Amino acid sequence: MSNDQGKPTRREAPAGLIQYSVENLVPFGPIHPALKEPEYFKLVLEGERIVEVIPRIGYVHRGLEKAAEMRPWMQNMYMFERTCGICSFVHSLCYGQAVEGLTLFQTPRRAKYIRLIIAELERIHSHLLWVGLMGHWAGFDTLFMWVWNDREVVLDIVEAISGNRVHKSMNAFCGVRRDMPENMEDRTVERMKYIADRARFYREIIDTEETMLERTEHAGNKVSQETVEKLCAVGPMARYVGLRNDVRLNDPYAAYDEVPFDIVTRNEGDVLALLRLRLDEMVVSANLVSYAVKHLPDGPFRVLIPPVIPAGEHSSHCEAPRGEIFYYVKSGGDRIPERVKSRQPTMANLPTALEILKGQTLADIPVVLTAIDPCFGCMDRMSFLDTETNKQWTWSGEQLRQYGIRYYFPERFKK
Amino acid sequence: MPRRRTGAAIPEMFRVMLEKPTTEAYPYKPIELTQRYRGKLDIDPAKCTGCQVCAMVCPAGVITMIELGTRKVGDRELPVRRPIFDLSTCISCGECVDSCAFNALELTKQFELATPDKKDLMMTKALPK
Repeated sequence: MSNDQGKPTRREAPAGLIQYSVENLVPFGPIHPALKEPEYFKLVLEGERIVEVIPRIGYVHRGLEKAAEMRPWMQNMYMFERTCGICSFVHSLCYGQAVEGLTLFQTPRRAKYIRLIIAELERIHSHLLWVGLMGHWAGFDTLFMWVWNDREVVLDIVEAISGNRVHKSMNAFCGVRRDMPENMEDRTVERMKYIADRARFYREIIDTEETMLERTEHAGNKVSQETVEKLCAVGPMARYVGLRNDVRLNDPYAAYDEVPFDIVTRNEGDVLALLRLRLDEMVVSANLVSYAVKHLPDGPFRVLIPPVIPAGEHSSHCEAPRGEIFYYVKSGGDRIPERVKSRQPTMANLPTALEILKGQTLADIPVVLTAIDPCFGCMDRMSFLDTETNKQWTWSGEQLRQYGIRYYFPERFKK
Repeated sequence: MPRRRTGAAIPEMFRVMLEKPTTEAYPYKPIELTQRYRGKLDIDPAKCTGCQVCAMVCPAGVITMIELGTRKVGDRELPVRRPIFDLSTCISCGECVDSCAFNALELTKQFELATPDKKDLMMTKALPK
């Protein structure tokens, strides 16, 4: 379709974009029981098989990066901790490390160990939560109940150390805010042994229980290592096809360079492999916590730093339970940052997720989509892109405000 | 490779059935809280000097300083300030407690803050009666 001058009209699809007939399109989301957070997927079906998935992201955009430019450095720590409700600590850790890179202060060793302990406890609790959800979507609700019961054990330790179950508020620049409580060593080691035993037990159940195997084995389109590498998947989504992709090992932060551990990889490349991988990772994490608690070094746990951060830019990356997270900070030598950029693992894993959804039946979507451990609320960021002209641009805060006013009160601008 | 079978989880189901329940009968029985539990914020008005450090560090904007008049220090006139707290937005991070040099603030173990009116959560203890 084109007008007299030969210019394409808005209805015409740009070259290279495949057009599907409307009869084959099935909307999935944004509000759907299989999704804990709103996200919209346009599914192109052939019979019951999925041919193509077109995502539409951005339903829970909260303007975190813009808000960060209006608050002092330390207050941003608490805001970024609230990026995610499950992997909250690792966000503040990554942001804190990026800011620490701009200062001349060194983080004490004891603080690094405490950070490792909390980060690994968080990984265990996130993986347990995910295994429970997987059981729920595979129709094995009993597993969900057991696993979430065991998760309480981890949350109790987290609460004893930090005073809260989810938002730990433990991090500060160049240190942690609270020391490890006294007499926690034996208790933590004992609980971690329990968690490792339970993880092994669940692994056994998943390996033998027919109901679980039927649902998860060979679920998800098998993707090759090269595809996953090309699509830049991170965390468990990269490790389940055999890539040794783990920031803890490749670029150690906190105290990961001082503790002995090895990452888990698998080669099967299906949902069952992800289940086995995450359960095995829990054993590794439990051992890491036990080791770190036993070998906790003496000394201070925090260095107080001035509220003004020297000018410069720095970035940091950490291994969150879902994969690599990335923070970039830019300081103009002021009390507030000039720019903060954050990238969450779900954003990096989404292209792979769309790839593994292809060829699956409609009924398998909850299982396969949950398998990537999606956290859509974390990943939503904003940028403008005109797909017709391939033009990108940004808005200032005032322009955004004006747009908001025009959007919500259109009657004010009517002539 | 272990043998695939249906009902591998049944022995565990029987074991769990005989265990005592994990959940607690709250609110009929009080629940145990850890020593470091971060609950409702509280202030000791006698210790507060109105230095407004807590208002500066609060990431949630809970604390507002109210000017109550002036006092004379040497030949200078300095304002007298006291904080009021909007606990409905408090995130219990404890940053104000850590930064208070006079130990006027503390996080109590009280956590039942549900109320039909948000105004009930305005804490004006530090203002003179």
